[in-house]
Amino acid sequence: MSALWRIIGVAYWQFLQWRRQWTWLAQSLVGLFGFSVLLFAWGGVAGLKHAIVASMVAGSWGIGLNIVGQMIGWQKVEKQYEFYVASPLSLTEYYLGVVLGQLPFFIVEVLSPAVIALLLGVKYEALPALTLVVLLALLLGSFSSLTIVLRIKNPMNISAVTNPLYTLTATLPPVFYPMTVLPQPLRPLALIFPTVPLAELARWATGTAETCLQPSTALALTAFWLALSTIALRGVLKWGLEE
Amino acid sequence: MAVVVADKLVKKFKDVKALRGLSFTAEKGKLVVVAGPNGAGKTTSIRILTTNLKPDSGKAEVLGFDVTMDYREVRRRIFYVPQDYAPFIDLTPIEYAVSTLMSRGFSYSEAKRRAREWLDLVGLAQVNRTMRQLSGGQIRRVIVATALASEAEALFLDEPTSGIDVEARREVWRALRERVRGGTCILMTTHDMGEAEAIADKVVVVDKGLALYEGSPRDLVSKVPFTHRAVVRKSPALKLDHAVDLGDRLIVYFRSRQEFDSFVGSLEDPSLLLSASSVGLEDAFILLLGGGVA
Repeated sequence: MSALWRIIGVAYWQFLQWRRQWTWLAQSLVGLFGFSVLLFAWGGVAGLKHAIVASMVAGSWGIGLNIVGQMIGWQKVEKQYEFYVASPLSLTEYYLGVVLGQLPFFIVEVLSPAVIALLLGVKYEALPALTLVVLLALLLGSFSSLTIVLRIKNPMNISAVTNPLYTLTATLPPVFYPMTVLPQPLRPLALIFPTVPLAELARWATGTAETCLQPSTALALTAFWLALSTIALRGVLKWGLEE
Repeated sequence: MAVVVADKLVKKFKDVKALRGLSFTAEKGKLVVVAGPNGAGKTTSIRILTTNLKPDSGKAEVLGFDVTMDYREVRRRIFYVPQDYAPFIDLTPIEYAVSTLMSRGFSYSEAKRRAREWLDLVGLAQVNRTMRQLSGGQIRRVIVATALASEAEALFLDEPTSGIDVEARREVWRALRERVRGGTCILMTTHDMGEAEAIADKVVVVDKGLALYEGSPRDLVSKVPFTHRAVVRKSPALKLDHAVDLGDRLIVYFRSRQEFDSFVGSLEDPSLLLSASSVGLEDAFILLLGGGVA
């Protein structure tokens, strides 16, 4: 029971901050609304449905990469991390607490688009697979970010790294547009972005667009990225007893 | 009973030897101050004792548990406030204390009860502004109150009163002494010898990664070969044996009251004498480190 309270304690800290800095959430909500109107205007229901599913993946990836990564990076710089190490909290509890603390962003960036997607005709049966993809995106996003963020010595650079990294990984490669749009020779190149197999998996699960990547290949690639980022993270994410 | 045992701790960062065999103990129900100049190894030793750092060699125990082998047991029983730790966050004092206590395993209601009780003691239970809007002194008081509310058996505070005004510092001291009276062991670092003299049961003077002295502040002062000191304006007319140069002023040391009285009586211009007092821990500290006294 006390392990649960420890996770909630870390989350509560984050949650209270977001409650006071609600404009970040408002920005995301306005962005989602504007984005939906824009896509509907230019692409109709089909365009919106396609992009809203992609936005769930990009949103979850962004929460992991930008928010969880930055949060842990800043806590390391501000010695909150060191403070937590010398306490009964474990590394897993700490990570889960930080992730849980981003619940308000999850509601805006993942759950709200999920409701829109269901209203637009995405089948309920697709939800379990979509949930798995979204969770993988969160995990992979945070791991990728942390492998870089925790190597940064200058605290001013944390957001200067994670924000462009998000733009690079979520808007440039085929996330909001299907891989089939790319010319054949460019498609393998797109796979250097971990977001691409995740988005393709989401498209496959919801049937929103044709995918040229087999689900098994997309899953294998995601597993590869997850393993790689976990190995890279092990070198920098230490819970005390640093050498 | 020794709550903290540091035994021949060695820690090297690249080419810099931060600790060269540091040993000391801290006992239950005692407030132990680790003092020393910048780079002496104070923070490194505290980071080892709080399981943040691994020593290269030597042994460290907290409450009978080895800090590298039984680190989980150690972490369950301690509370650590790092140096310069000041969470500039949008949380009120009560929210900060409650979330911190919850992150240590207390339920919400228990955390709230404890937070109220201890914040009340430092006069901040009713403050409804966020930590970002509080003064440095208020932030420190919130952090210390939270540490005290945690009921940890050993507290490690790395310069808990740095940068706060005299009045706030005394409130922190009062809260710390209150906790020590209840049987908690507190290990803290400071640069301020006045602070160590006021609140420490024991002082460990550290320099270049080694403990130069371990004992009561009074015993350390008694080792000083002087009894009195005076601050005087520098003047060519003054002939002094033991003095520390402060630019246009001097700190002058005297071996006895008689020596001091005869010095004052010999002053042609009494306005040269700016202040006088008995020697204290700061003087002992400077002498121990081997600096300053001619």
